[in-house]
Amino acid sequence: MMRISKNLTETGQIATEVAVNLKGGEVIGLVGELGAGKTTFVQALADSLGIKEKVASPTFVLMKVYSVIGHQSISKLVHVDAYRLRDAEELKNIGLLDYLGQPDTVTVIEWANQVKDILPPDSRMITISPGEGENDRTIDF
Amino acid sequence: MKILGIESSCDETAAALLEVKDGRFEVLNNVVWSQTEIHKKYGGVVPEVAARQHVESINLVIEEVLGKVMKPDLIAVTKGPGLITSLSVGVQAAKTLSYSWQIPLIGVNHLEGHLWSFLLNNKSQAPISPALPGQAKKVSNSKSQDKNKFVNWKLSPFALRASEDKEIGNCLPAVVLIVSGGHTELVLVKEVGRYKLIGQTLDDAVGEAFDKVAKMLNLGYPGGPIVAHFAKSGNAEAIKFPRPMLKSDDFDFSFSGLKTAVKYHLQNMTQTGGLSRAYTNDICASFQQAVIEVLVDKTIRAAQKFKAKSIILGGGVSANEQLIKNLDLKTKESELDFYFPEKWLTGDNAAMIALAGYFNAKKSSPLRPRSEASKNTWKTLTADANLRLV
Repeated sequence: MMRISKNLTETGQIATEVAVNLKGGEVIGLVGELGAGKTTFVQALADSLGIKEKVASPTFVLMKVYSVIGHQSISKLVHVDAYRLRDAEELKNIGLLDYLGQPDTVTVIEWANQVKDILPPDSRMITISPGEGENDRTIDF
Repeated sequence: MKILGIESSCDETAAALLEVKDGRFEVLNNVVWSQTEIHKKYGGVVPEVAARQHVESINLVIEEVLGKVMKPDLIAVTKGPGLITSLSVGVQAAKTLSYSWQIPLIGVNHLEGHLWSFLLNNKSQAPISPALPGQAKKVSNSKSQDKNKFVNWKLSPFALRASEDKEIGNCLPAVVLIVSGGHTELVLVKEVGRYKLIGQTLDDAVGEAFDKVAKMLNLGYPGGPIVAHFAKSGNAEAIKFPRPMLKSDDFDFSFSGLKTAVKYHLQNMTQTGGLSRAYTNDICASFQQAVIEVLVDKTIRAAQKFKAKSIILGGGVSANEQLIKNLDLKTKESELDFYFPEKWLTGDNAAMIALAGYFNAKKSSPLRPRSEASKNTWKTLTADANLRLV
């Protein structure tokens, strides 16, 4: 599905729509350039799952694990940032496989295009591309 | 007592020997093996490479700081936050030594180390009085080091600072700004060991924003010192970059939008060709100014709101001279004391870890349930990549 987002709020709304349909076990790959709104997308998704903690960029530690409380089937959100990585091996080394695809876990990977090898075949790719105006984005999800 | 500090949370393998005697701290030896040169070509720290380097250097670094000391009285090791593969090397080394020496071990939060690092300054820069007036003395570092052995050693001078709770109490409550490649946090300190997170970045850390801007301008890595260098010759007023969240009522930060603003600015510029050196300077200066203005403004406001006596700065980005200058000016205007670590203490080091370990081990009141320096810690201590300070 393709949608145009006019600003960060609309990007968040689309993330909320995605979040509502999550059941656990999903792996979501986010693709888009610096400043596309990937982290905003994850923040809105986390918010919809009921995560109260602040979801910031995991570029430095590469992976952050958040507890989801009060959801029927999801108990963890794993937020990965592959911006600095050259290949998927790096993610194995920090223990991503412990979480990836677990039935109670949703994994979101920013810059997923840089670590294609680790993505399960049924991963859901979401692409955020620049639109006409500076704040416009085309979101393919 | 002598405390061995071990730090390996990111890309520096570090060890230090800290002596605490009559309420004074004395850095007997401090060694940092930096991997920055190795990670430069990747534009950032590569976890697997970093971990391998830590494994290779950790024993050498520890041996070097111990010198003739047979064994310390306590081991303090960084347990988080950081890169899990890097942290594990230091934690494992510390556990092994604790077990084989049969001495207590304590896990330390890396941020608590940065927070108190200014206490190890060689020169007194602020009105923290010596524990016993007239007895604070400086001793030169007489230890000769074989500098040719390891080209990457960064040796710090000997440090002697007077400090016990009473004296530290003079600067409390304090608002602490911790800024580094992985952190941007405002912490309220009411007493040693009692911290309250009052603000943080909602997206990118400050150092990360510097790294990303340096990358966009093809200036290299790490971004912090490079951007600061170019900024020196630039005009900070040249480009009006946004001041994200400057006016928000909370004490949180956001640097992702600022980074994006720089990106769009560059896209509009470079279509006509490359950037001149002068213009690169202006971009760096204007970007840096935007970052600093937000950091300083919010830190001062937090200090006023929480009626703090002082502002403390810590972390890798606290090496930024412009940030220090601005904070110095604004704290004077607001009649606040201002403490910041000397340059050799701003980056990751183990002296600050030993110090924080001492603070944690010394106190074991019910108020501080985290204080668990014991000979059995090695059985349970694990690294925690996302360890929180509060």
